[in-house]
Amino acid sequence: MARIQLENVRKAFGKVQALDGISIDVKDKEFFVLFGPAGAGKTTILNCIAGIAMPEEGLIKFDGEIKNLIDPAHRNVAMVFENYALYPQMTVYDNMASALRSKLYKTPEDEIRERIMWAAKTMKMENLLERLPSQLSNGQKQRVAMGRALVRTPNVFLMDEPLAHLDAKLRNSMRTELKEMQANLGSTCIYVTHDFMEAMALGDRIAIINEGKIVQIGTGDEIYYMPCNEFTAQLMGDPQINIFDARIGEVAGGFTATFPVNGEEITVSLPEDGRVYSTIKEKGLEHVDIGIRPQNVKYSFEAKEGYFKATVYSYESIGNKSVIVAECGDYQLRMIAPNGLSVAIDSDVYIRFELDRSIFFDSVTKEYIVRYDEQTFIDLAKSEEEK
Amino acid sequence: MAGLTLNHLYKRYDNSGKKKKIKNDFAVQDLNLVCEQGEFVALLGPSGCGKTTTLRMIAGLEDITDGEIYIGERLVNKLQPKDRNIGLAFEDYAMYPPLNVYGNVAFNLRAKGVDKDEIDKKVREIAPLMQIDDLLEKMPVKLSGGQKQRVNIARAIIREPELLLMDEPLSHLDGKARQAMRTEIKRLINKIKCTTVYVTHDQLEAMSLADKIAIINFGVLQQFGTPTEVYDDPANEFVASFIGEPPMNILETTIIKKEDTFFFTFDNSNLQIAVPKRYYSVVKDGFRCKMGVRPMDVLIGGPDSQGTPEEIATFENLGDERRIGIHVGDVLMMLITEDEKRYKRGDIIKLEVRGEKTHLFDIETGDRIREKKE
Amino acid sequence: MKTGKQKALNILMNVLLIIYAVFALFPLIWMVMISFKSDTEVFTTTFAFHPTLANYKEVLLRSDYGRYILDSVIVSGGAVLVSIIVGVPAAYALARYNFPRKEDLAFQILSYKFAPEILVVLPLFMIYQKLGLYDSYLGLIWVYQLISLPLLIWVVRGYFEDISVEIEYAAQVDGYSWYQIFFKMLVPLIKPGLVSSALLAFIFAWNSFTFPLILSSNKVYPVTVAIMKYLGTDSAHYGQLAVASTVSALPAVIFALCIQKHLVRGLSFGAVKG
Repeated sequence: MARIQLENVRKAFGKVQALDGISIDVKDKEFFVLFGPAGAGKTTILNCIAGIAMPEEGLIKFDGEIKNLIDPAHRNVAMVFENYALYPQMTVYDNMASALRSKLYKTPEDEIRERIMWAAKTMKMENLLERLPSQLSNGQKQRVAMGRALVRTPNVFLMDEPLAHLDAKLRNSMRTELKEMQANLGSTCIYVTHDFMEAMALGDRIAIINEGKIVQIGTGDEIYYMPCNEFTAQLMGDPQINIFDARIGEVAGGFTATFPVNGEEITVSLPEDGRVYSTIKEKGLEHVDIGIRPQNVKYSFEAKEGYFKATVYSYESIGNKSVIVAECGDYQLRMIAPNGLSVAIDSDVYIRFELDRSIFFDSVTKEYIVRYDEQTFIDLAKSEEEK
Repeated sequence: MAGLTLNHLYKRYDNSGKKKKIKNDFAVQDLNLVCEQGEFVALLGPSGCGKTTTLRMIAGLEDITDGEIYIGERLVNKLQPKDRNIGLAFEDYAMYPPLNVYGNVAFNLRAKGVDKDEIDKKVREIAPLMQIDDLLEKMPVKLSGGQKQRVNIARAIIREPELLLMDEPLSHLDGKARQAMRTEIKRLINKIKCTTVYVTHDQLEAMSLADKIAIINFGVLQQFGTPTEVYDDPANEFVASFIGEPPMNILETTIIKKEDTFFFTFDNSNLQIAVPKRYYSVVKDGFRCKMGVRPMDVLIGGPDSQGTPEEIATFENLGDERRIGIHVGDVLMMLITEDEKRYKRGDIIKLEVRGEKTHLFDIETGDRIREKKE
Repeated sequence: MKTGKQKALNILMNVLLIIYAVFALFPLIWMVMISFKSDTEVFTTTFAFHPTLANYKEVLLRSDYGRYILDSVIVSGGAVLVSIIVGVPAAYALARYNFPRKEDLAFQILSYKFAPEILVVLPLFMIYQKLGLYDSYLGLIWVYQLISLPLLIWVVRGYFEDISVEIEYAAQVDGYSWYQIFFKMLVPLIKPGLVSSALLAFIFAWNSFTFPLILSSNKVYPVTVAIMKYLGTDSAHYGQLAVASTVSALPAVIFALCIQKHLVRGLSFGAVKG
């Protein structure tokens, strides 16, 4: 097991700058998640660590030792590829044994057997060992690919979307097990995903990647509650966070936010919060983007005090709960509702924000400014890190 | 008026010609379904359950072994697909590549020999509805998946069919695009108010889109009802575990009587849950059955809760919510909470279950055990 | 359920296929028949004749036919061997690496097969004479590359392209060196394509006529050219000619039959598989 460091790594494919100065420091035994949209460069980072891709600039260190010029075979990393990359001519058993049979990592056959049996059991695929990859479903292939990595004791596990092709039920149970397994193995793991739930659930720390750059690194709670900009905020959370532009006004004893809904101006008072108020004063904020998560938007189907009117655009289940999307003129608001309501499209819905849960972003740079209860969440994130 | 009626529908594939003897099972068995005019009905089930076969029989692409199909008031058993007045939107887009979008949408009408001005009028009418007005001159290869799907539906509904049939129209799209397209379809169908039958294996899609869901397994209809009904009041264990994500916790239980109260108890677990009063008429001491409860309906009790103290086996922080797993015997019981407290493995919580949300299932057949109506 | 209409259609299709089969096979059958006829009977057009093995005795035992066959085996086999040694790495490079004008190069290799042989063979004749390659095994093996190499490279390249590059990465990460990966992982995967294209190339090389006719004379004598010998200046021994042709066609026929399944699958597999 090892500490993995990348220092200012740059890599281009032709004219496309795939990695643009990536620096990360993955601690020994850490579960580190690279999270970002498709094409962000996540896989390229893994390839650079594995030695499959060669960065043009920057250093790759394992335990402080520079590995840039070491070939993949001698880096002792185990990798799970997104398209499985199973050897088609070999049975599942031989696939899993291949690394342990190579000259470099030569292991006695009975030990190989033992380890494969263990990995097969954890991956729930003991009955697949004699099959060829072509006889497996995608979900099974993915488990084999995982198993092939798990039989090894590498410096680091590199996993590229290893759960992406599993169906929802299996994905949830494997996610739970993966975290436990990594803790038991005490191994360093770098994990690529575009699924926000995987990132949150698995990562000791998460690095948000976009367009070859690191946007933010932090624990799940840090990034979820204090996203460094609107991009990160939108990435973390499903359904997406609502962000709308508001004008700040000052009234006796406090501040208000004014924003348009279907052509009308709605003014609400901002709840009092020491840090939010002082930040508004200090920076003299007039315009902000307010971010508010769907679970903090309250709705009613009857007119109510403090609620404003919008139109239902859609009502859809997302599993154990549903999302109402409401049309407010130029933008839409998402809010969480229970499953099984009868909500007619284009009917009226009345909305109230729990503004004391909101996050403020700069309306020009889209960067994080302040949020309500900031200190509480800073403490929460810290307690997470210590764990 | 009924939009579509399936009356004791059977489908049996004739395997006699094949060398390998395949069990001569029914692909569809005694299917009865009544869709009201303008209703959006989803046929939902795992792959190979007979839902696509049913759709193909309705469309006339597959022979009917036995039973009757009515579209509106017409018996259509013997009618050719083209005479059934249906619109089809299938999984593969199957557009005519040499024609532009306008040509593709107009194709069916042209084939029927409809007047040119009439066709133009109809295409212009339908295009804004499907939001393809600015795509009309484009060729199919230049379209994105979502756009193709819209054209596909436009093509299906331009003939003003009595019935619109869709077979997994979203399976080619992924993630965000799929979700967006789902919303689009829902809104489009809502606008045109056409009776629609929609085949899918994705319970989320069915829950989000349909007015009513027909859940099918092994060719047999399991339940037909609104999304609310199938979610809150499942007919059997299959429906209960198929609908909802994460799935319902279903645990084998023995009911015991202590003084005047019944409790659910579980093998190799100290967990005890009070049986809701409404079940008292159907349970007795030592009764074995399965108990189902959704993860949302398992709660963490406060400090003075009467719930059983249990050790946390898994804890996942998913940002919007947290999922906690607890070993009950050898089953992992999941609960979902939006509470912001962070737990870790080994923490003890007091477990409470919303009694009114529990369901009982027969241990053998999986059928729902319902309380007796007074 | 087969209706009468379908049955009639079935019969009609079979009749058409039989007609085609007769058309295609008749010359071959006629040739085999001639090989069993005596010179006097060669020109009779009836199917009745007195079979004799005299022609076979004459050709196989009393002439240098064995040597000609051996020459054919050496040059055709040699050509295929060289094609494999050169072509497989070339195919790998064309499949895996990106370099300027890659597609042009690949097309150029294919284009070797476009030019009529007779067009290139005359200048080659002069060059070969200067280089001392005329009438040598090496010379023919070399020129046969025009026939076998493009075929092999294009088929095998398709196979390499079908192997996802991640499989190589996975093997690297598993601790294998490039050579180990190539022989342990890749060669087994391209084998169907390699075998079928190599056999096809062998048959093409075997059947080649123009190149050996002009680029060799006494020392190297492949069968295709040797057959001409039986069309002597004074008399034409059609019976012997037929024997020589029949025997020389045998390897191709046998190969084709043995690998028939393999051949079709091997040549189409790479293209079809996603």
